[in-house]
Amino acid sequence: MAMATSTFSPRPASRAGPLKPLQAGASKPHLHISFPRLRAGRLARAAAGEAPVEVVEAPPKEAEPSPAASNGAAVKAETPAKAVEAAPRLTKFRDERWVNGTWDLRQFEKGGVVDWDAVIDAEARRRKWLEDYPEATNTDEAVVFDTSVIPWWAWMKRFHLPEAEKLNGRAAMVGFFMAYFVDSLTGVGLVDQMGNFFCKTLLFVAVAGVLLIRKNEDLDSLKKIIDETTFYDKQWQATWQDDSPPAAPKK
Amino acid sequence: MTSLSSAVALPSSCRARPVGCSRRARLLVARAAASSPKLPDGRRLRVAVVGGGPAGGAAAEALAKGGVETVLIERKMDNCKPCGGAIPLCMVSEFDLPLDLVDRKVRKMKMISPSNVAVDIGRTLAPHEYIGMVRREVLDDYLRTRAKSAGAEVVNGLFLRYEAPKEKNGPYVVHYNHYDSSNGKVGGEKRSFEVDAIVGADGANSRVAKEMGAGDYEYAIAFQERVKIPDEKMLYYEERAEMYVGDDVSPDFYGWVFPKCDHVAVGTGTVTHKADIKKFQAATRLRAKDKIEGGKIIRVEAHPIPEHPRPKRVSGRVTLVGDAAGYVTKCSGEGIYFAAKSGRMCAEAIVAGSASGTRMVEESDLRKYLAEFDRLYWPTYKVLDVLQKVFYRSNAAREAFVEMCADDYVQKMTFDSYLYKRVVPGNPLDDIKLAVNTIGSLVRATALRREMEKVTL
Repeated sequence: MAMATSTFSPRPASRAGPLKPLQAGASKPHLHISFPRLRAGRLARAAAGEAPVEVVEAPPKEAEPSPAASNGAAVKAETPAKAVEAAPRLTKFRDERWVNGTWDLRQFEKGGVVDWDAVIDAEARRRKWLEDYPEATNTDEAVVFDTSVIPWWAWMKRFHLPEAEKLNGRAAMVGFFMAYFVDSLTGVGLVDQMGNFFCKTLLFVAVAGVLLIRKNEDLDSLKKIIDETTFYDKQWQATWQDDSPPAAPKK
Repeated sequence: MTSLSSAVALPSSCRARPVGCSRRARLLVARAAASSPKLPDGRRLRVAVVGGGPAGGAAAEALAKGGVETVLIERKMDNCKPCGGAIPLCMVSEFDLPLDLVDRKVRKMKMISPSNVAVDIGRTLAPHEYIGMVRREVLDDYLRTRAKSAGAEVVNGLFLRYEAPKEKNGPYVVHYNHYDSSNGKVGGEKRSFEVDAIVGADGANSRVAKEMGAGDYEYAIAFQERVKIPDEKMLYYEERAEMYVGDDVSPDFYGWVFPKCDHVAVGTGTVTHKADIKKFQAATRLRAKDKIEGGKIIRVEAHPIPEHPRPKRVSGRVTLVGDAAGYVTKCSGEGIYFAAKSGRMCAEAIVAGSASGTRMVEESDLRKYLAEFDRLYWPTYKVLDVLQKVFYRSNAAREAFVEMCADDYVQKMTFDSYLYKRVVPGNPLDDIKLAVNTIGSLVRATALRREMEKVTL
């Protein structure tokens, strides 16, 4: 849950640079929530990744209406017998620790023990590189790295613990203030508050709130998730919605 | 994935309607078939099947076999419908397809993540299991021929419109453009005939659907290029298909390289960013670059893929099957099997409701087919929808997806549910392990994503 909701947070401003000139072309600018239908940010980055390797083809716009107008048709190719062109390439991803399609853990050793933080950093950098500059796959140098090779406690230490600390801190602050507030209003002390059902409910709501709502956007995201999970069901049952009362047996 | 969801109870709301309706509909049918009027003068029920693809062919054959007078209208007998062309094993057995229809048997699939992590899928396949790649013109023609031998009349024409019946059990009048190359008339002549029911099997841009006011659906555009590659590169794709996932290749679908009879089809698709399909295609070609270099593009094609069923699938005695109804799964975009199966199920419902063509059918009989189809395949569709929502939403999720696919249990479950369209309950311990692994993969991929955001190259 901790990780799942944080995917919906807006991207930090640091990615502004190379994307500015392409935003004119993006279909839906300035939407950061990464839901499938609102993906301009990704699209601009995909375009950014494409720009250096895009070849001469000017996409012919007349192709667009025809596929939708028929059940599929042969789109008029610009030059039917055109050979698949080799795109001009940027440098491939290179790292001396990346050997045979995986990270050579021996090169990450620090004091005899593998420095897992460095492995995580290296993999993050590799993925970022490939996202910005997609590469052709190569069967000779197949990528076989699996992130599960990094032990669970390394992930915990790096990602879960700081987040947990932050959330616990928030919960503690909210808890202290609420306890004080309720005490000052009603005179009920902390011990007596814990015995009260209403207060326990408030406590539950506070904990759930701190867990689920970390940024302002999370409220919208949660609403969207709830809509999304039931949307497909609604589409399938649409044909049953206008079900008129069953026809009485005739004649 | 699939067995996991079967272990977890689906919310009752998404099951209640179809099941309840099917029970109700079945009772209705039992009463209606006995009490619906016998057709006058002992004539047989007449049904028009509009569209001669897998759905239309299967429907026409089942109708004709059931004793119903069937007319199948197809506008282009040699149509090479652009299509992925993959059929599951169960289709070969359920529809008795001859094996020479299958151009290639794909036994290995490669899933490639955004960072080019490549995972081989298919280790768990038995020697007799495969994904069949067919040419649509060959498959469609075969099914139509079979329908003809069963007694259906196959007509080359373009459906124009139909007129609703003027009284309660009156006929529908179907208007179409009859093409007949023998009399040399270009453009065809307008003809019409009367039928008692219409089955719309005319695909994603169904005219029958428009006539009956079925409503619209969202659709994806699938764009593909047929590339003839040198023989030694073709060897790599002998039994192998590839799937590429990534934002560069498609924001909500996947790119593919599928082997065809003597060339490969390289393509991609999208729902939300249709205008950028060419960019996505270029990215797909880039990812497969080394393997298709030197190839010649022999054909470029595109087609729409429905994302969900139309709001209304039946109206009076007119119903929809196949792509016209919108029976394409999410995540994989599979439609051929469901088209053929829905065509057959619709036909069987009509045959049953009309007591083998002797009585008039009603809307309730057609609703019976809908209820049965929804009941049989709703879990499959829902699971694939969940998979798409969870694993296609971002590059991090796609990385997790590819990582999960490396697991043998996942592969076995996936292939079982794809090849046989059945959700086999797995070992609960394995299911729990799978759930834990899934969450682990997603968490790791998301954590890496957050690190990636901090990296400046």
